[in-house]
Amino acid sequence: MSQDIAVQVTDLSKNYGPVQALRGVDLSIAAGEYFVLLGPSGGGKTTLLRLLGGFIRPSAGRILLHGIDVSEQPPNHRPTSMVFQSFALFPHMNVAQNIGYGLRLRKLPKVEIDERVAAMLDLVGLGDLADRMPHALSGGQQQRVQLGRSLVLETDILLLDEPLAALDAKLRKDMCLELKHLQEQVGITFVHVTHNQEEAMTVADNMAIIADGELVETGTARDLYENPRRRFTADFIGETNIFDGTVTGVNNGEVAVDLGFAALTVDDNGQCPNVGTEVSVSIRSELVQILRSGIAVAADQQTLTANYGEAVYLGLATSHVAALPNGQAVVARHVSTGLALDVIAPGSSVELAWPRSMMRLHLS
Amino acid sequence: MGKALFLAPIVFMTLFFALPLALTVVWSVFERTMFWMEPGFTLFAYENFFFSARLENFLSSMWHSSISVVVAFIFGFPVAVFVRRRIPQVAQHRVILLFILPFMVSEIIRIFALRPVLQRTGLVNNVLLELGVITEPITVILYTPLGVIIGEVLSFLPFIVFAGFLAMEAVPKYIFEICDDLGAPRHRVFIDVILPLAAPGIFAGAVFIFVNGLGVALLPNILGGPGAVNAGLIATQAIAALDFPLAMAVSAIMMTTLLGLLYIGHRLFDLTRILSPIN
Repeated sequence: MSQDIAVQVTDLSKNYGPVQALRGVDLSIAAGEYFVLLGPSGGGKTTLLRLLGGFIRPSAGRILLHGIDVSEQPPNHRPTSMVFQSFALFPHMNVAQNIGYGLRLRKLPKVEIDERVAAMLDLVGLGDLADRMPHALSGGQQQRVQLGRSLVLETDILLLDEPLAALDAKLRKDMCLELKHLQEQVGITFVHVTHNQEEAMTVADNMAIIADGELVETGTARDLYENPRRRFTADFIGETNIFDGTVTGVNNGEVAVDLGFAALTVDDNGQCPNVGTEVSVSIRSELVQILRSGIAVAADQQTLTANYGEAVYLGLATSHVAALPNGQAVVARHVSTGLALDVIAPGSSVELAWPRSMMRLHLS
Repeated sequence: MGKALFLAPIVFMTLFFALPLALTVVWSVFERTMFWMEPGFTLFAYENFFFSARLENFLSSMWHSSISVVVAFIFGFPVAVFVRRRIPQVAQHRVILLFILPFMVSEIIRIFALRPVLQRTGLVNNVLLELGVITEPITVILYTPLGVIIGEVLSFLPFIVFAGFLAMEAVPKYIFEICDDLGAPRHRVFIDVILPLAAPGIFAGAVFIFVNGLGVALLPNILGGPGAVNAGLIATQAIAALDFPLAMAVSAIMMTTLLGLLYIGHRLFDLTRILSPIN
């Protein structure tokens, strides 16, 4: 796999009248990478994808695909192909005709079209459905046809706009893995838009969080889950407890943060906040333990005193909710063991404990 | 009560549509009397139609009507596509309303209003003479078969826009994005995608124009020359001559033509699709 840059976006903005759908996004995606644009609905991720595909023109900024400026080029002059949300097939053409239409437009000889369509039908697992009409296909099969229609063109970059959004949860999981394997097999760059975290984490080599028209953060799934730099990322991915406070001291790579009712010491993680800055500290809910008060804890644990609220059984996990002195709720989440619960009376005082080293500092 | 509600349209259609049409056929074989007709069986009216200049007139009005359909389609359908694709969704129906408005003016007024436009000293000729484009007035555009065709096109153009707009309902918006992505040139999008998907609606619009071109007697009467006749005018003239069986026979022949067209169309495109936009 080469280390070429497939997508290079600089200072890209898109306005719809007074609405800024995308603001000054810089992003680069390596060739052969499975890249995911993840974010809440209406955050601008689909706008970015459509800009890449050429369906809309940027208000400002540039788009380079494989080093060539395509900012003002129409979709068919770009090395991209798009998989749309759902049901985006030609309703009057069967599966093979849908897949082959792009090749027909390129005026390839019929024999070659038939060969490539047949190979593509096998690749996307529709070998025996070549003659089916779109309305007789399931949602998953329709999306496979779309994949085939795009991949058969052998473009360098495949754009996928919420390709699995219309599928039910179980099917989506299967299709996720399939997409991932398909990408590994064909080796081209995939840029995939989704609002679904699990989907994003399953398929992505790298991902970008996009919200409110801005690129929040990029990184691998593991980076963003375990070591988010931005408060938004910490809040958006996984289930995280976030405490807002003020920096009271910086010492030796450690930052002291005052929460008002307690003080925390957190690793600066390469960031250098000034004393007095408003910052946030986060800890993932699965790292928080709830202990009866009075139980001794190890020195590497951060503890806070709280009032126990309730337990919420969620199947795989059980969430325990406790309230800090300032009223903020803290969630501790643990895999349900199936053993009888050690019931804690609501309202009783408990100690929340977690490893100091697992806390993350967010300056913004 | 519930069932009765469903029966109501059936009763209505039978009483006021199917029954009169059936009676048309029955009366067309009745014997002609001085002022009316009496029960009997004779094919005299059909003989009168098929072995006279009437058949020729009927066929030529079918031909003129076909030309009108094609011309109206060429001018009208792109407008419908334009409205669907480029006008914002909320404004689309208002724009289409503009095309329906002409139908709220009486047909005879609409058609008659074309005379001062097309006649020898009419608007078209005056403007062209004034501009020096022509030196002699064009006389071929009124009181000629061409005049009838122009009249048909102008009076049915709004309808093909409306029908085309409905037909485009069957062409989902995403189709155009796929086509952009695949790099389909406009004419290929039109031939490969829009036409096949919109075919039922286009066909319905075309049949409407065709049948009206055959049937609206006012058109040849007002815009055609001395020899210009369509099926509607043949029937009207027969009624004026008190030859009711002949008028009935002409109606029956037109009806058969229409049913034949609808049958062919249904076999080709499944016309029920007009009313079921793709979801």
